[in-house]
Amino acid sequence: MFDRDIWQEIFHTLKNNKLRTFLTGFSVGWAIFILVMLLASVNGMQNGFTSQFNDDATNSIFIRPGTTAKAYGGFEAGRRIQLKNDDFEYVKNSFPKDIEYISSRYFTGTTARYKSETGSYSVQAVHPDHQIIEKTIITEGRFFNNADVLNKAKVAVIGRKVAEDLFKKEEPLGKYVEFNGLPFKVIGIFTDDGDDNAERRIYAPISTYQGIYGNTNVINQLVLTYNPTYDLTKALEFSGRLEELMKRRHKVAPDDQAGINVWNYAEAFDDISSFSAVLNTISIGVGFLILIAGIVGIGNIMVFTIKERTKEIGVRKALGAQPKQIINLVLLESTFITALSGFIGLIFAWIILSVIGPTINTPAFTNPSVSLSTVVTATIILIVAGVLAGLIPAIKAANVKPIVALSDK
Amino acid sequence: MGSNSLHVLKGINFKAEDGELVAIMGSSGSGKSTLLNILGMLDVADTGEYTLDGVPIKDLSETKAAQYRNKFLGFIFQSFNLINYKSALENVALPLYYQKVGRKERQEKAMSYLEKVGLKEWASHLPSELSGGQKQRVAIARAMAAEPKVLLADEPTGALDSTTSYEVMDLIQKINDEGNTILVVTHEEDIAHMCKRIVHLKDGVIVEDKKIKQVRAQQHV
Repeated sequence: MFDRDIWQEIFHTLKNNKLRTFLTGFSVGWAIFILVMLLASVNGMQNGFTSQFNDDATNSIFIRPGTTAKAYGGFEAGRRIQLKNDDFEYVKNSFPKDIEYISSRYFTGTTARYKSETGSYSVQAVHPDHQIIEKTIITEGRFFNNADVLNKAKVAVIGRKVAEDLFKKEEPLGKYVEFNGLPFKVIGIFTDDGDDNAERRIYAPISTYQGIYGNTNVINQLVLTYNPTYDLTKALEFSGRLEELMKRRHKVAPDDQAGINVWNYAEAFDDISSFSAVLNTISIGVGFLILIAGIVGIGNIMVFTIKERTKEIGVRKALGAQPKQIINLVLLESTFITALSGFIGLIFAWIILSVIGPTINTPAFTNPSVSLSTVVTATIILIVAGVLAGLIPAIKAANVKPIVALSDK
Repeated sequence: MGSNSLHVLKGINFKAEDGELVAIMGSSGSGKSTLLNILGMLDVADTGEYTLDGVPIKDLSETKAAQYRNKFLGFIFQSFNLINYKSALENVALPLYYQKVGRKERQEKAMSYLEKVGLKEWASHLPSELSGGQKQRVAIARAMAAEPKVLLADEPTGALDSTTSYEVMDLIQKINDEGNTILVVTHEEDIAHMCKRIVHLKDGVIVEDKKIKQVRAQQHV
């Protein structure tokens, strides 16, 4: 089957029928090209999604208070729910096994000044755990620690953009910057890939901010990450318990999402994973359909080829060619064309992806690429497709009666 | 083939000896090509027996028929039926390929047969670069390459002018002189008289079967 002569025959035929070979190959090459591009696009969308979410730990839960929408427990609807420091302590102590990291969030804004430079920035006053929950990347210095919170130290971790705005080319670490007139020592600079606005933010210890601006124990949000060993069911069960507890504590109706909202990242993440899985399946389905069109194209052209070569096949049979030798010839020819043109399509798609792919970096679409397994699968599909495309014409060719083939003188 | 069956041959009793050169004659529709096709295992007789070199030829599978054709028979066609994208040498080597003869031996053998028909210098040429007579000589070399028991020629000179026809017949006579059995279907009297025996067919039966004195083609060339 793999001797030199049969290949010579195939190359002969292909060389002598360039247009036919090209048209046949094009349909398959095109199909594979589309299939790979399609899969890569889905991959790009998935990458986009994940990079959107990567910003925060994927096992985080947000507790956000709001205004009740329902009357409950003797209270009328429209009551504002306010979280306080004791909520933080309460949650932290109630679920020691379930919670990995926890932090309060207190949102405010400030006018910051360093020498002659001033600017307005949002401030998040948080606990040290917040760095891990938000996956804040410290490029210089450090994040504040528990000691800073205990001492109500006037320290700040500023975003890269803030540092650029205020300090220009000066080294900000260790310098004092005025927030609404009070000096804070810059102890760290953080960066956030993807989002410039996030880099215009300032982190400070929660106790410091609560103490100096209004002497309050109010917090705006609670964020926490649950035990990372939890699977989705366990995570959802935990956030359910948490929600129930918080609603009971603040006398909010159990089904009132406006009063207290407990938002579990895992839930959203799960939605997106299944969304992209569906997308993936669809794209594979569409790709297959296109591929089938390509295979039918090849089959079509092979049938035509056989018709055209009827006489030649008749001569071969008269000279002693056995049916299986004819089948071999036709099958190998179609497999060869499919495989070769498929590879060309594959390589084209791959080149385009590796040139353009890394430059695409939008929120919804990031670095489209294909994995090795996709390429291997595509290759196997190609070879199978080639055999399938050639099979019927090959059998047809083998059954050509030499007398019929030779009769048209 | 077709839904209407047509009885072309109506009882043929015919035997060719080793080394004979037989002309099968008859007007068109007399059944001479059908007879040749049955002898060539390209077609099957509805009834009757066919024995080739002591082997009964019946109930052949496609594969078996292919093997027998390859081993026992060499075909020469009116329209040459060379494969147009193969060189003269490759065409001659083709039956040897189906005999699974090794590549090198195949080439050598094919070349020696091409030499025999006087076309050694044309070995690498494609059929389109050859004249009609040359094409038929390549086809004869191809038919002989497999060293068959019988050569079957269906109107071998039908597409050639008379000079070339005589050249081809001269070649066929020489091959016959070496002891090869050859059956020639023709409707041309002069070609038939260059054989050693003439079988006349009419409406599917043999009307005449006689030995003749062979006219050598050489004297016409």
